[in-house]
Order: sequence, then structure tokens, then C-alpha cells
Amino acid sequence: MTFMAKPKKQEEKRTVPSDNIISTTENLMRKLLEAGADDVVLSAATVFGQQTKFANNKIVKTGTSESQHISVFSVWKKRVVETSLKEFTDSNMDELVAKASKFAAHLPQSDSYEGIADGPFGYKTLPYDRTIKLSGEKHADITEGAVNSALEEGAKRCSGILETHDWKSFLLTSHSVEAEDQGSTVYFSLRAFVDKEASGHKVGASRRMADIRFDDLARTAAGFAVDAINPKPGPIGRFDIVFEPFPLAILLERAGSAASAFDVDAGVSFLQGKMGKQVGSGKVTLADDPLVPTGYDSTTFDSEGVPTRRTEIIKDGKLMTYLHNTSTAKRYKTKTTANAGLVSPHHWNLVLEPGRQSREELIGQVKDGIYVTNLWYTRFQNYVTGDFSTIPRDAIFLIKNGKLSSSVKGIRITSNMLDILKGIDAVGKESENIHAWEVDSSVITPPVLVKGVNITKPTA
Amino acid sequence: MQGADNGLADFIVGHLTRKGASYAEARLETHSGDGFLLKNGVMDAAGFETAVGMGVRYIIDGTLGFFDTNILEKSAIIRASDASFAMTRAASKIGETVRMSEEKAVKKAYEVKEKRKLADVDAEEKIQYVIGLDKALLDSGADVTTRYLSYNDGVKEKYFVNSEGTEITARIPRMDLFYLFTVKEGGQTVQRTHSAAAAGGFEFAKSWKLEREIPREAKALKRNMKEGVKAPAGMTDIVVAPEVTGIMAHESVGHPYEADRILGREGAQAGESFVTKDMIGTRIGSEIVTVVDDPTTENAYGYFLFDDEGVPSRRKFLMKKGVINEFLQNRETAAEFGIKSNGSSRATTYGVEAILRMSNTFVLPGEWKEDELIEDTKRGVYFKNFMEWNIDDLRLNQRYVASEAYLIEDGELTKPVKSAVIEVNTPALWGSVNAIADRVELHPGNCGKGEPMQGIPVTMGGPTMRFKAPMR
Repeated sequence: MTFMAKPKKQEEKRTVPSDNIISTTENLMRKLLEAGADDVVLSAATVFGQQTKFANNKIVKTGTSESQHISVFSVWKKRVVETSLKEFTDSNMDELVAKASKFAAHLPQSDSYEGIADGPFGYKTLPYDRTIKLSGEKHADITEGAVNSALEEGAKRCSGILETHDWKSFLLTSHSVEAEDQGSTVYFSLRAFVDKEASGHKVGASRRMADIRFDDLARTAAGFAVDAINPKPGPIGRFDIVFEPFPLAILLERAGSAASAFDVDAGVSFLQGKMGKQVGSGKVTLADDPLVPTGYDSTTFDSEGVPTRRTEIIKDGKLMTYLHNTSTAKRYKTKTTANAGLVSPHHWNLVLEPGRQSREELIGQVKDGIYVTNLWYTRFQNYVTGDFSTIPRDAIFLIKNGKLSSSVKGIRITSNMLDILKGIDAVGKESENIHAWEVDSSVITPPVLVKGVNITKPTA
Repeated sequence: MQGADNGLADFIVGHLTRKGASYAEARLETHSGDGFLLKNGVMDAAGFETAVGMGVRYIIDGTLGFFDTNILEKSAIIRASDASFAMTRAASKIGETVRMSEEKAVKKAYEVKEKRKLADVDAEEKIQYVIGLDKALLDSGADVTTRYLSYNDGVKEKYFVNSEGTEITARIPRMDLFYLFTVKEGGQTVQRTHSAAAAGGFEFAKSWKLEREIPREAKALKRNMKEGVKAPAGMTDIVVAPEVTGIMAHESVGHPYEADRILGREGAQAGESFVTKDMIGTRIGSEIVTVVDDPTTENAYGYFLFDDEGVPSRRKFLMKKGVINEFLQNRETAAEFGIKSNGSSRATTYGVEAILRMSNTFVLPGEWKEDELIEDTKRGVYFKNFMEWNIDDLRLNQRYVASEAYLIEDGELTKPVKSAVIEVNTPALWGSVNAIADRVELHPGNCGKGEPMQGIPVTMGGPTMRFKAPMR
């Protein structure tokens, strides 16, 4: 097999998980092909994670996690079998191969399976922060610093999490693809409280520790909390809303999922049947960019080993493409966008193209509106039409004549995804990389102004 | 335990204790099962999985540490514990001083019996079951434009040991069937998603009778779009079927009564609670409402007899006759409250710490027959099931949008209602319940909580019940 990744410097060791995993992966490939599998993708990884969880200004738990596995995707006469190998012994390998072959014999053919990409390929490289793996003992200092910053700003208590991951991966396919990568990620979340009803929340995510301004995030969260004290019941009706990057990312991620060809076919996409049509305002250009150097979910190759690239999903409001792997692309008579997911294509880093306005300028043009700093519990009534509701939480402020006024609570956004995208009237210039509880895949977005959003609330 | 060496768990607990941990526990888990995904009649993916790993929790210098690994070799586990120890010791300078409630050490083994063992049912039969349901949906007579069904099963074997002498061995099989479909009628679409699940063997697939229920739902949704009317506006008598009763109990009684939320332990993401530590004894519902959380409900999806701290589970009366009665507790929160744990601590996998979770949460039955309850309602709306729902993170402001709903006129279900919405605050909801039927149904779910997110098997349910709320 040909090693096509960009050559490393002499002094660097191979990035792959370990020699044992490589040889196991190669052996497993040979055994599966000998047993009759037509197409095989093996993805080996070792992952080391560290986590510090804090609540009420104290660390309540530290965690470390170490795992190794080989994901196995095998296709036997168009019968798709997925499994994984976690204990790398010959007997386990033989057992897996025998079971996969037998399992496949029971399956009906998958008419939707159209093959995997033919390699070999060459790949770019992305930044790797080797300090992240060794950062565990620094978590406490970082947490303490951030909590103290929030307290100095007026917060009474803070809760949140600091997570760091270091991983190495090795991909081998039956179609001449061999690729390896290593990565590092950091995720920080801090929710500051002045009291139960006055809180602020910020998150930060990157591939490099130095990109996260822990203390600044903490101060901003605390500032929201301080400003949010004594919230009054919010209004109902239609309002112009300025969304912070964090809540907007929660909505944009739904758009990213809806762009997956799998979601379109499964009936969980409001972008179904909208190809080439206007699905957002002219201010909306939404791309998937897996090669953002600092992007939390950046990757140089997809799950088939296809080199990744930037893909414009929505350009000036018009839907340009769905996200594809080789199989879905063939069925849609197009080319893969390097977004495999072997069964379901997915985005890597969704990027909303920034505009030119500052946050203050966005707020400044709103006569009667609402400033939303976080959302929670977004649920759909109909994934195809895009009807949903979601709950603004933490600091929510009314905007009156271009200025933030009183803090409010108890409201719900009851809307439609297409209406939200079409309502985007102005886009801010300062983007943030968001990864969070309700944002599984990274979203890089600035704040935006959305016109005429429907607000409801209980009347009893 | 099959495929794993319990001795490794015993070893690490002893090792940590010798290194100075004041408390240590290990959970060694094996999980193996099958899964199938049928999308629009095509088997897009199928697979089988076996996962083995160990999660270890301990207290050192008063601070809680956790580590997990799936490399089950003594040297790898010692390496993992050393890295974890160093991190936890560094954290102790701002670590919360963790105390655990005093609990009796127990040594027990238990399992859920399977009449038809999941591992013995071959893939062919499981596939045919899913294909049969898909065909029933296709033959429903409704214009079903998308169909998505997934089947998953698995057996989890668990060995728990702690430094206080507790040893629990458990074997629990679980299976679930999830479905989502879209019905088109007159240019409009409507969707339905739901699942059936059990702790038990493949025999439950038959008992669910989904081959009748799924096409019934498709036909009902078709009728809803064709004949549906607008919901009445203003204060309305609302009758909710068990599926809706269950989600209300789960979201606005179960979650806010979790002691970790009340203490702020999950404050950043899962959120907190409008309930405070001193609210035991406070009236929040009408006298006829009693809500329990009961892990011992046999074969229910959220079944277990010992939690992931080795504490025996039991029925908890969260709300008793409308009064806040008891919170869900683990050993950490129970120590804060100065009481015993009620066995509510669970982890989704070996790879995450156990946190406070619901199990099977439901409203206890009343005295009304379901048909009498409808007959007694002059004008109202009956919510058969729901699609969209949410609640704020203090668990006060909640919303449920029906998938299938009907007008009640002069004690009878008449026309279907389109997009019926309940948007109500928690005390207003439970305070206005005025009739509860005598038949309980449980519906499964995977409840999300914690960071990293842990989706855990639960059920939620109760009887049909009636309350008043504003509609628009």
C-alpha cells in the first residue's frame, strides 16, 4: 500500500496510533477481503481525553479517558455491515470476520449503496497542539483563573467544563486509500450565575489551547449574568432578534444536518426539494470548511479517505448542494463533497460568512427587538417543513431604539428554519468557533440580526 | 462476566486504596448487540457491536476523580490511574470536598430473564420484523413519503465493586424499535416519531403490536390533515393520553426533583431546577396527583435493581397527593441532604461517570375509566400523542405540540384537531389536574443529561388525565 500523506519531518514519529494497531488493521483488511468482502474501510484510532467539571466555583470531578478501536465498514455483495474491533487479538479478528460474513448473508441488498472512493490520495496537514495531551494538570489553574475572572466581574457562582482531547487515526480502505492524522481539541464552557434567574453562558472551542481566551469568556458570561438580574416576563409577538454566535450555532447546525443527503432521504430535512432555490436571505452564505486551521472538527480526509475541501452549501441565500459521500453522490448524479460518513454524510465545520457590522451596529439598527445570548431544547414539529420551537435561556434583553434595555425571561421562539434563514437581515463581522451541548459539530459564526421572529410563552 | 476479567476491577480498587484514595469503585462492562436501519424500505446499514471497558471513580484529597479505558491490561490501567491521580491531586486545590452517604455493603447478582434470548435470534428474523413494520406502514392507505425505522438490541453485563465491600453483578438485555415517518395529504405534510422498548428478550417485539399501531397512526394523521380543525382558543379542558402524561411527568416532575440539579451540580448544561432544597412538603399539584420513579418496574426500559454506586433501587414518591415528597438522590447528594441515597445513580456506559437519573417515571392511576373521563368532558381537546416538545432549564415553561389530537364535544371524541399546542407553566399544569384514569401505560425514551451527554434508557407514562390550560 502506498503512503500518500504529506511526508513528516525526519524527527517526528509517525502519527499513527501504534505499530500494533497498524499491523492489526492491515491483517484485518486481508482477512476480510479473503473472506469475500468486496469493499472495506477500516478506521483505527486512539483517543486520550481529559475533563474537568466544575460547579458552584469548585471542581466537582476530573476525568481521563483512554480508548483504542478499529471501526469496520464492510460490504458483501451490496450488503453493508458495520462493527468494530476493540481487542486486537488474532482470535477476536477471526471471530469478527466470521460473524461479519455470516451477518451479511442474512441482509437484503442495500440499493442505496454505490461504492467507496478510489485512492490513493494526497492530503494537506492541519495544526496539532502537542501541549494539549499534557494539559491535564493545568486544567485546575485554567479553571481557577476563569472562575476568579467571572467572580471579579460580579458573578456569584460558576459551573462548566474544560475538555481536552488528543487523538491519532489511521485509515485503510480496499480501494487503495491509506491515510493518517493526528489532532488535538480543547472545549471550554462556563455558565456564570448571579442568581437562579440571572445567568450568562459562553463557550469556546479550537484545535489549539492558545486560541481559547478562558478569562475573557468567563468575564463575558459574568457580564451577561450581572446585566440580566431581575428579569421581567418577556413579550409575545413578532420581534427582530440579534442572536449571539452561541445560540445561532444551535440553529445553523440544524441547517448543516438538513444539508446531508442522508437526512434529505430520511425525511428529516427542511432543505428537501429546495435545490437551487432561495432558502435564506441574500446575506446568507453557509459553507462547510473542514480545513479551517483552528476548527474544532477540522479534518484533512473524510471517512472514505477523500481529501476534504470547502463546500458552499448556501450561497447568497441559494441552496447550492447537499453534502455527499461517494454513494449518495452517485445516486444524486454528482460528485462526493468529501463529507463521508460512510452511511450518512455530515458537515465538519459549518462556517457562516461574516459581514461587516459590529455587534453594537447590529443592535443599533433594531427599534423594538430582543437580544438572545443562548438557546436550549430545540425541537421540531416537522423536520420537512422546518417548524420548530426553542427556548432562549440565560441573559435575554429587550432592544429599544437601538439600545439594550430590560432583562426578560420565560419566552420561546416558535418559528420555522426557512423563515429564520430568510429573515437574516444583517451579519456581524466577529466569528466564534462554537462547540457545545446542543452543537455536536463545530459551527463558526458571527452574530446576526433576524427580522420578524415569532415569540410565544405560556399564559398560565 | 463474559469476555472481561472481574479481577482487574478488584485489583484497581485495591490499588487506588493503597495509593491513598479514601473511596474507590470500578464498573467493568461488556455490551454486545445488533442494529439495523431501514430507510424508505432499503437496509442502509446493519451491524453488530461488542464493547468492553472499565470506568473507575475514587476520592483523593477530598476530590472526585474518574478514569476509563478499554485497554484491559493491568499495566494500561495503572498508567491510566496514575494520569488521573495527578490531575485530581492538582484539582484538589479548588476541588469540592466530596462526601458519600453511608450505605450498607451488599453482594448480589441479578439478571433479567429473556424468553427469547436476543443473542439467539438470528439477524434474519430481526430484519424481517423491521421489514414487516415498514410494509405495514406502506400499506396503511396514507401517502407515506418517508419511512425510517431502526432496531437495536444489546445485553449489558456489569460488575461493580467498591472499597466498602459492595459487589454487584448484573445482566440486563434491552431492545428498542424507533420509527419516523412523513404523511402527505393535500399538499401538506405531518410527521410522527416514536419508539417501543423493553428490558427483556425478543418476545417483546410481538407484544408491542406495532404492525397495527404504526399504520393506525399514519391513517389518523392523514385524516388529521384532511378533516382537522383549529384548536379552540382560551382556557380549555385538556385530556392527555398516557404518552403525553408521561412526557409531562418526566420533564416537569422527574427532572426538577433531581437533587444534583437542585444543588447546582449540573448547572452549566443540563441546567438547574425551580425546586429548592427546602421545598419538600410544598404543594405543587392537585390532591389526586402522585408521581413516582420506579426502577423496579419489571421489564420496563429503565429497569435496574442496583444503581451504579451499588445502592439498591426502590420506588420513590416524588410528588405525593400533590405535595413535593422526595428527590432523586445519589450518594454524593444524599450526603449533602444528610440522608441515604435512594439508588438513582446511573451511567450510560463504562466511559462516563454515574450521575443522577430517572428510571421509570409515571403518574399513579386514579379511579376514572378512560371512556368515563371523556364522557364527563363537555368541551375540550384530547391529545393522543405529541411530536415537538420542550421545557426551560428551570423546568417551568413547557410546550407540547400534538401529532394526533381530537375535539371533545359533549363527551365524545369528534373532529381531529390540527397542530394542537399546550404551552403552560409547571404549577398551573399539575395544580389543575382534576381527573386521572385507572390504566397506566409506559413509553420509552433515552433521556439526555450530563456533559458529556449521556442518553439513558427510561420510561415515562401514567394514565389518561385531565387538566385545564389555555390554548390558542
